[in-house]
Amino acid sequence: MVEKTAQPARLGRGFWVVTAVLAALAIAAIVFCYVFPLERYLPAAIVTARQVDELIRFMSATGSALYIFVAGYLVYFAIAFRAKASDAPDAIGVQIHDNRKLEFWWTVIPLLFVLVLSIVSVRIWYEILLEPENGLVVEAIGHQFYFSFRYPQINGEVTDEMHVPLNVPVTLNLTSADVIHGFWVPAMRLKNDTVPGLVTTIRFTPRLAGRYPIICTQFCGVEHSEMDKQVLVIEDKASFDRWYKGWQQKNAHVSNALPGAAGQAIPLQGGDVAAGKALFSQKCTACHKVAPFNQTLVGPGLEAVLHDPAHPDLVNGKAANPADVASILENGYTGSMGAMPSASSNGLSPQDLANLVAFLNTLK
Amino acid sequence: MAVAALHPGGIAEHIHPEPQGFVRRYVFSLDHKIIGIQYIITAFVFFMLSGLLAEAIRTQLLNPNGGFVAPGTYNEVYSVHGSAMVWLVIIPLLTGGFGNLVFPLQIGARDVAFPWLNMLSFWIFPVAGLMLFSSFLMGAPTAGWMEYPPISLQGAAGTSMWCAAIFLVGVSSTITGINFVVTILKMRAPGMTFTRMPLFVWGQFATAPLLMIATTALAAALAALFIERQFGVPFFDPTKGGSPVMWQHMFWFYSHPAVYIMILPAFGIISEVLPTFARKPVFGYKLIAFSSMAIALLGFMVWAHHMFTSGLAPFLQLPFMILTYIIGVPTGIKIFSWTATLFGGKIHYSTAMLFAIGFIGLFTIGGITGIFLAAIPFDLHVHGTYFIVAHLHYVLVGGSLMGVFAGMYYWFPKMSGRLLNETLGKIHFWLFFIGFNCTFLPMHWLGMLGMPREVATYDPQFTFWNRFESVSSYLMTFAILIFFVNVLWSIRNGRRSGPNPWGARTLEWQIPSPPHYYNFKHVPTVYGLPYDFSQPLPYKGLEEELTDSPPVAAGAH
Repeated sequence: MVEKTAQPARLGRGFWVVTAVLAALAIAAIVFCYVFPLERYLPAAIVTARQVDELIRFMSATGSALYIFVAGYLVYFAIAFRAKASDAPDAIGVQIHDNRKLEFWWTVIPLLFVLVLSIVSVRIWYEILLEPENGLVVEAIGHQFYFSFRYPQINGEVTDEMHVPLNVPVTLNLTSADVIHGFWVPAMRLKNDTVPGLVTTIRFTPRLAGRYPIICTQFCGVEHSEMDKQVLVIEDKASFDRWYKGWQQKNAHVSNALPGAAGQAIPLQGGDVAAGKALFSQKCTACHKVAPFNQTLVGPGLEAVLHDPAHPDLVNGKAANPADVASILENGYTGSMGAMPSASSNGLSPQDLANLVAFLNTLK
Repeated sequence: MAVAALHPGGIAEHIHPEPQGFVRRYVFSLDHKIIGIQYIITAFVFFMLSGLLAEAIRTQLLNPNGGFVAPGTYNEVYSVHGSAMVWLVIIPLLTGGFGNLVFPLQIGARDVAFPWLNMLSFWIFPVAGLMLFSSFLMGAPTAGWMEYPPISLQGAAGTSMWCAAIFLVGVSSTITGINFVVTILKMRAPGMTFTRMPLFVWGQFATAPLLMIATTALAAALAALFIERQFGVPFFDPTKGGSPVMWQHMFWFYSHPAVYIMILPAFGIISEVLPTFARKPVFGYKLIAFSSMAIALLGFMVWAHHMFTSGLAPFLQLPFMILTYIIGVPTGIKIFSWTATLFGGKIHYSTAMLFAIGFIGLFTIGGITGIFLAAIPFDLHVHGTYFIVAHLHYVLVGGSLMGVFAGMYYWFPKMSGRLLNETLGKIHFWLFFIGFNCTFLPMHWLGMLGMPREVATYDPQFTFWNRFESVSSYLMTFAILIFFVNVLWSIRNGRRSGPNPWGARTLEWQIPSPPHYYNFKHVPTVYGLPYDFSQPLPYKGLEEELTDSPPVAAGAH
């Protein structure tokens, strides 16, 4: 009978030579990842972008080193242990079933690596989350197929470019007027979806002046591919102030209120408080309580909505008065507090609006 | 021949006579092997169609301004490409196809537990597939395979057809899952304990509960989307009180486990092919088997890592990141164990073995980038870019599809009694391997540098690599054409294989190719793991398999 069993496999000289070569390749890969960081090809426009790059360096260095070892041994074993013409046709390999020690270590070492990676990534993620809150507040609203921007002292919307000053923390509130878009500035290494009915916030501190493309990353309709034409401009404070003033003047006569149906005022005479109260508990209490402003269900608490000295303005920035409350009821509103459905989707007639406003006006 | 007897598993067994008419044998068949082949043929037909869609995508991207098809059409093309490849190709091939064909043979069963359900689950599948492709006639879905509302609420009528089609495939998957779980639990041959099951059976055993449980979440989501589109009940539209993010939760609660539905059976295929051609036991059998179960379990707890940009609260995102990292551990164990399986082997390079080794090399890349993507800060950069496209194709093509090809070359003799041509097979492997890497590797850096996914036009700075990818993708298509030519030629002209052309040791290779209608003449008794090549085969009761004697019902010795 032909000897079927192969010689017991030992880790011969070839194995250690291959290990040394793979170690050298792995070190080369790690050096490569640190010599050619992403920042060389894509500017890091905000402070945390450099931290994300640090994470990318760490992961690509360890990942490629790991891959070099796995693929290297795979190819080495595949070549070294191929059946040769001199082998008996029924020759078999060494019948190794397992090796507890080896299996223990290749379970424990990856677990330790998971621990290290968790610490590194949580630390960097917290730096992104803990960017200062008290900076310039900008609101970006996704539309099919552009973004519009709202600034505190500019009436209406800025629709071409988003400007922010260098080194000033920015709080960017994101929402959408129609479908989900993705707000991505590759140079910021940061994105977030703009979700209708939801306000999400990202915070960052610009560190490098320049013009950086804003790209939509969630499919949003037939012109989605074209939704990459707007830019984020990071510039020094003086240029930013000039730009800001320009828009303030340009939009001075733009109303902050959303346009009403055909721009007509909504008749509010003859509102019935009792009917309004009944309607409120039927239509509004799913999202609003008659409670202080900060007691939010989905939308804010509406106690004293028209007579609250602490919150003299409505969500759309207009001073609280019955006509503007009616305008929000009529048109709905999507903004920093979420999405309020319009009268047509709530099934409210003009008389219903009058009744509701009459009721809300009694809350003090 | 309707002999009744008590199966050792407690089930009264009959051996029904083989049906004679063509329709009962090959069309409305109850035989798991025929149903498996029906699944494979149907899925490869859909594979050709959605492969053509893939080439339309790459042809569009030859130029930064597109121009091959209109942007609206382009959106339909990639949406149907993704949906069809996932639901009509990879999942049916690996579960209904290879699952049906192979694992009942491997556990020594004469069929699956519910043959009629099995026939039902197959016949739902081509109907659903035709429904999905028919959506092109009424305006196909455009919002990708994920169909996030509200944009999917604006889609043409085909989006509702898409909901119905995917719902039906889901029903088919769920039935298959139930069938496989019961079959594996109740119909193993005597002595086939859990720790003696071949690893492909373990792969199916880990997958089937995912099919059963996760698919129901998808069905609920699809029903809601369909109802909202057709009847206006606002589940997802925020202006009417719905929540668009709810769809994402329901969709990914299915679709992340679905990733494992698409890879665990392929892990099983690799775990059969490697020991057979290395002529040695698979390294660390128990850890490979249990890690499949661990992956399946953990797979239910990580869905929100697809939603790091959707506005979830930070403290909710953290566990999803860490749990996803942890899935890397059982996956790593498998990769290390397969690599170690080669050590000390006598490796025979059949095409199946080349695909298995190629699988390890490519899947590992997809696995490592998967860990990268779980890191929230990195995901916030590359989410929704070509980096994702690269990652998912490394897992689903470099992983699942390479596994499918390994399985095709390995089990084709069991289906047909003939071998596939090995020379054509090796040309197929090398062209496919090179074409695949050249198509998808550059997408990693395109995504990191700023190219979003699902775009019909792109920034001209990315032109060179996109052209390179498109040309490489034609090479891949050419390789697949060689595969189809090989299959069609070998069915009639391939070398006859005999029962066991590879010298493999699992049960399906101890009976004729193709097997008899009832699989085993005597239900065999199993005494050990199949993989030790230095021992005699651990089965008793197989002596008459290759003779002309008639089958005997279990228990009636």
